[in-house]
Amino acid sequence: MRTPQVVVLEPDGWIARNLGDLAAEGGWLIRRARSVATARSLVNDRQPCVLLVQVELSEEQLLPFQFLAEVRRNVPDVAIVVVSETKLNDADRVAWTATLFELGARFVLFPPLTRPVLEDVVSGLMTATIRRTLGEEAIPAGRTTATKSPPEPDEVIDLADEEVYE
Amino acid sequence: MVCSLRKSSTPLQAALAPTPAALAGQVDSARRPAAPHRNGPPWWDIAFIPLQTTEGLFGIVGFITVVGEAVPAAAKKIPPKVVTLREECTKYYNIDLLTGESLAAERLVAQVRLAASVTVPVWLVGEPGSGKETAARVIHATSAARERAFVAIDCAGLQPYLIEGLLFGHGGLALSDRVGTIYLKEPSALPRDLQQRLAEEFADRTQPRLMCGSYSAATEAVATGKLVPLYQSHYCALEIRLPPLRERLDDLPRSAARWLPHRPLDAAALAVLRMHPWSGNWREFRTILQEAATVAPAGPILREHLPLALRLRAESPRLPPNKSFQLDRVLQTVERRIIEFALQKTRGNQTEAAELLGVFRSRLNRRLEALGISGQPSLKSRKTEETPKTEESRKTHEG
Repeated sequence: MRTPQVVVLEPDGWIARNLGDLAAEGGWLIRRARSVATARSLVNDRQPCVLLVQVELSEEQLLPFQFLAEVRRNVPDVAIVVVSETKLNDADRVAWTATLFELGARFVLFPPLTRPVLEDVVSGLMTATIRRTLGEEAIPAGRTTATKSPPEPDEVIDLADEEVYE
Repeated sequence: MVCSLRKSSTPLQAALAPTPAALAGQVDSARRPAAPHRNGPPWWDIAFIPLQTTEGLFGIVGFITVVGEAVPAAAKKIPPKVVTLREECTKYYNIDLLTGESLAAERLVAQVRLAASVTVPVWLVGEPGSGKETAARVIHATSAARERAFVAIDCAGLQPYLIEGLLFGHGGLALSDRVGTIYLKEPSALPRDLQQRLAEEFADRTQPRLMCGSYSAATEAVATGKLVPLYQSHYCALEIRLPPLRERLDDLPRSAARWLPHRPLDAAALAVLRMHPWSGNWREFRTILQEAATVAPAGPILREHLPLALRLRAESPRLPPNKSFQLDRVLQTVERRIIEFALQKTRGNQTEAAELLGVFRSRLNRRLEALGISGQPSLKSRKTEETPKTEESRKTHEG
């Protein structure tokens, strides 16, 4: 069974610091890497549930992009979150988001980066990855009760349907 | 140019709005971002010339000069090396990833080819780890939309507001022509209002194509109230079932060779792997292979390199991996054996046998008739009566 671990590839410790409280609360382990080589060995050896990669959106820094594609191909169960510090307009953001998703990202964060959003993304993906590894059914992010039985068809009130009949 | 005194809202109205001096009847000029952009360059240098008579201002004429050139958006110049990398990723997901020797694999490949040749939404059903997302990527990479991006969204892992922002927010992917396929993992995990919105937004569009992956069929998800009916009717045009690994045991060597190219599987190791039930499917198989490769960094993967639990399971008597528990069949077999045992004990005396079994004679007769047991069973006759299924069930019971 995989243990809840997060690997963060970033030059400074901003992301790891911001996830500290969440990790302490959930009993996760956060491992920080400054270089792609270190992050690669951590991913291969430790099999984290979530990998956060801070990338610079430029051609000079191609290695992180190659790393994303490699992780997606070799360890597809690791949920990758890409964090960018570059502020982009809407068109650029769409282009980069689509490219990064294609390379294997599960989510892309652009400025302004806030702690609640970072925590929501990481905790949600962490829970989903662990459940998926255990072969359990999907539980919507943010909901913690796994024991609630599904409603019977008669119990479901579809407001959209009701509006039709009104 | 028609001028309006109303407060401007759109970029064009903002660009053309006369200055206060022009409205006061003076010639004036202003530099504005060229519509429809809200930022320059390029700019519009606009000269406002009021038209007035002695009775007052009756219009304003504006002359526009375009200044500066648009800065190419980064969207148009994603670095070529990154584009190349993206194309390599797309090529990796070819149909070979799904091919295999088993019948289930052949059927899957045929269905995936069909899905790639059309543009209808696809619903992929399969157990966890059976390769739903891989199949979706293969469909995308072999379809006409391969030049555009494949976006996989984990509906169970991301909060609804994040998914809504990603698809419909500023710079949302749902309306972008850069996205070819949106793959939703477990859409039934989404709140119903978002499901409804997705169903409505994508109802009349074929681009981007929507694919969904789930552990249950769409009809089943609707029946249990997890999915809005509209969503199912829109996005289940083609349903593909991903066979579990236990139905693709013949594909184990091929898949192992793909993941560990220079590490052949020993025959004994393969025998152990074939005995495993593979509840975690390909995900579990890959993990076990990786562990084995770690234990022995070089050479073929031997039986000893596999986890102990797998080896013990292979040694102990167990159920065939692809057998399901049919309660009625098992109960019937047990009943048959007990009745035959009672008859044997009483040397075929049905009255004594009924007493021994604690039932009325009439009931025993009915059961004898229903189960097709003759009144005088012998060991030989019992063996000949039993169908292969019954034998299997007997083994099950004995196991």
